Amino acid sequence: MEASTVSLKEARREGMRRSWYRFSRSNVAIVGLVGVLLTIVLAIFAPLIAPYPQHASAFVDYENAMVPPSRAYLLGSDPSGRDILSRIIFATRGALKMGIGVLAAVVPLGVVVGLIAGYHSGSAIGVIIMRITDIFLAVPPLLLALAVSAVLKPNLFNAMMAVSISWWPWYTRLVYSMVCSIKNEFYTQAAELTGASKSHIMFREILPNCLPPILTKMTLDIGFVILLGASLSFVGLGEQPPTPALGTMVADGAKYMPQQWWVAVFPGLAIMFIVLCFNLLGDGVRDTLSTEEV
Amino acid sequence: MFERYGGTKKALLILLFVVLLLQAGSICKGQAFRPDEWIVREPGAFPLYPDPAVGDDNIECIALNNVYEGLVFPDPIKGVVPHLATEWEAEPGGQKFVFKLREGVKFHNGDELTAEDVVFSMERLQTIGEGFAYLYEVVEDVKALDKYTVEFTLSEPVGPFVEMLVRLYIVNKNQVMANLVTPGQYGELGDYGKRWLLMNDAGSGPYTIREMELESHMLAEKFEDYWGGFHENAPNFIKLIATGEPVTVRTLLGRRELEITDMWQPMESLMAAARIEGVELAYLPCAQNLQIMLNTKRAPTDDIHFRKALAYCMDYNTVADKMYIGSPVAQGPVISMVAGHKKDMEVYEMDLDKAVEELKKSKYYNQLDKYPVELSWIAEVPEEEKIALLLQANAAKIGVKVEIWKKQWGHVIADAMRPETTANATIMFVGLHFPEAGSLLKSRYHSSSCGGWEQMEWLQDDEIDMLIDKAFATVDKDERFAIYGDIQERLVELCPTLWLVDHAEVRAYQEGYLDWPLANHMKAGGEILCPLMGSFDYFRDMKVFPEKRAALLGK
Repeated sequence: MEASTVSLKEARREGMRRSWYRFSRSNVAIVGLVGVLLTIVLAIFAPLIAPYPQHASAFVDYENAMVPPSRAYLLGSDPSGRDILSRIIFATRGALKMGIGVLAAVVPLGVVVGLIAGYHSGSAIGVIIMRITDIFLAVPPLLLALAVSAVLKPNLFNAMMAVSISWWPWYTRLVYSMVCSIKNEFYTQAAELTGASKSHIMFREILPNCLPPILTKMTLDIGFVILLGASLSFVGLGEQPPTPALGTMVADGAKYMPQQWWVAVFPGLAIMFIVLCFNLLGDGVRDTLSTEEV
Repeated sequence: MFERYGGTKKALLILLFVVLLLQAGSICKGQAFRPDEWIVREPGAFPLYPDPAVGDDNIECIALNNVYEGLVFPDPIKGVVPHLATEWEAEPGGQKFVFKLREGVKFHNGDELTAEDVVFSMERLQTIGEGFAYLYEVVEDVKALDKYTVEFTLSEPVGPFVEMLVRLYIVNKNQVMANLVTPGQYGELGDYGKRWLLMNDAGSGPYTIREMELESHMLAEKFEDYWGGFHENAPNFIKLIATGEPVTVRTLLGRRELEITDMWQPMESLMAAARIEGVELAYLPCAQNLQIMLNTKRAPTDDIHFRKALAYCMDYNTVADKMYIGSPVAQGPVISMVAGHKKDMEVYEMDLDKAVEELKKSKYYNQLDKYPVELSWIAEVPEEEKIALLLQANAAKIGVKVEIWKKQWGHVIADAMRPETTANATIMFVGLHFPEAGSLLKSRYHSSSCGGWEQMEWLQDDEIDMLIDKAFATVDKDERFAIYGDIQERLVELCPTLWLVDHAEVRAYQEGYLDWPLANHMKAGGEILCPLMGSFDYFRDMKVFPEKRAALLGK
């Protein structure tokens, strides 16, 4: 028994080594990973890294408003005299909170609902759950998020909630389709024959086999969720002043284009960098897992 | 067989022809009217309700001043001058006024303007009770003595009554009555023509509405039979456009598709616009006060000491020196250049020590975390965000949390209807309705103006109401002005508002092909006597030169 446990652990370790090998062979995926790690480091250590950490809170300095990129302000200053670099560094916190928070909420919900619907496919429970899911899927995510945010008080938590409401059905749909095929596999049927409970079958037999695609979707989704969050803050429905939000910074700076270009361009580039890195990472994870499946 | 297929083919061809015809018809119908190049275009914050009994904000005043006319006219340079009324007499008691009307004035549909129309316009405004109706609550009776003579009887003497009449716009009675929608909220008068007047006009002004889209634009064309006539270069068309977005405004200026900017553009944007060839800036000291209105009926701004703490927090000099260049720091509730302003009053200056002192006296001092101040600014006026951030930063220094909300204009108007939905603090420009201190005092602080965007303080102070009523009933100017002074002192004490700056409008305009007499007057060092909201944009006085525009476009 001990020997088999050891060999199982070794097999897992070996599997992970192979996965990392395959992942590390992709330069693009490594670039994505480095970018994501950089973003996380910036977010965690923002007060230490930002040249002017106080500029991310209630602070104005109209003497130094609209300073172009210079030694004092590497990415220039905004209309209220705040350092754009410092505000971008702090804004990564909101972007990550949005991405991680939304997925932390929608993945368990979407997966559990999808599991139940898939396991009961063909019955009334499955039909009702999937039709409700279809209704949510029929509304464009941005539109639904905008509608929800407009009703609630604008802040990061409500923006996350708004995005979550529009995002969970995708996971339900994904898991549902997988469960529908997995539940007919021999090992599932064998578990049923041995008298295993429904929850055991769903969570111990079926769910582990759904994880690779869920993981892939999560890594690919995080960038889009951040982008959707930035879209909400662009229209004033995300983080509220003085907390910096990348979308809000782009919206505020757009008024001063093209003369004072730095106010909008750098936060825009920051959004692009974060989303791109998460997408590259997601592509790498997908390639690794799909190779494993083969 | 062949015949059968031939018949089907023919039927399909006919169907196709019909579809094409319908398509062509819909295209023709959808084609918008294209005005010629003799046009002046200006942006503004929509929605625009061009009904004289409804409209009262800046863009509406611009529209009303050009499409309708009053008995007197607010000429920015000359002051209040006779207009539809050529002369008038006031009874010594100040309760009865008789106006003689100009003969031969035509409405846009060709009807002659008579005393009956004046009576109808006043009754309609009073019955609907919106817009500038509050100015005429004292009008007890109005009657036509003959075709060209009208008499107003007031319930009490009103000193500045003639000046107040600048906001009574005369509508064509017959035209409105022919367009009533029944049933409506005004009994047998149905909707009193409100629906029709949202999209059409019944005025006699120099321009008549040609196209009206509530959320997009108002296009008006020259009224050729206008009694005052036009000079040869007067614009044939005027267009008010629903955009204030700075990049769009600058782009339109550069493409010569906009002649004058609105007054809400950020200074950086105006400076950038001034670098476009042929575009210049006009500095127009206007009778507008930039203020932060504090809701006195909602915690924590219901506490006088809390309000005073905010007043001592505000950096007034930064607003004047860095944001609204050319606009002096406000010296109390009334704009300094307006008749009736009380001089040498002690007003609030930034002093954080005093702010803390006041805060300690407030009942919210020990629970500041529970009572953040909700501060709204108008999305269409981007410069206001800087003021919001400035107050937020300074308030943070004394431990007060300010939550900033960006709101669309329509949202602000809706929120202003009830004290519980009105924000704790709202950044707002307010202007005169007639050229005297009493105008601002009444529209801003009298209980009758609560529920509208002009009073989000919900002050409802009996003594202030009493003093305003008393001032309005005082015919003697000096006595009236003395009461205005008392009101201003009491208001400073109550601190319902943070009075920031007396606003000087800065506008970019196409000096290369647009002659704007008012801008020229100010450039020559002139003064403004009657700075009423909307009166600077009287398009009939302007001159356009399309050939110069073409030359600029060709460069």
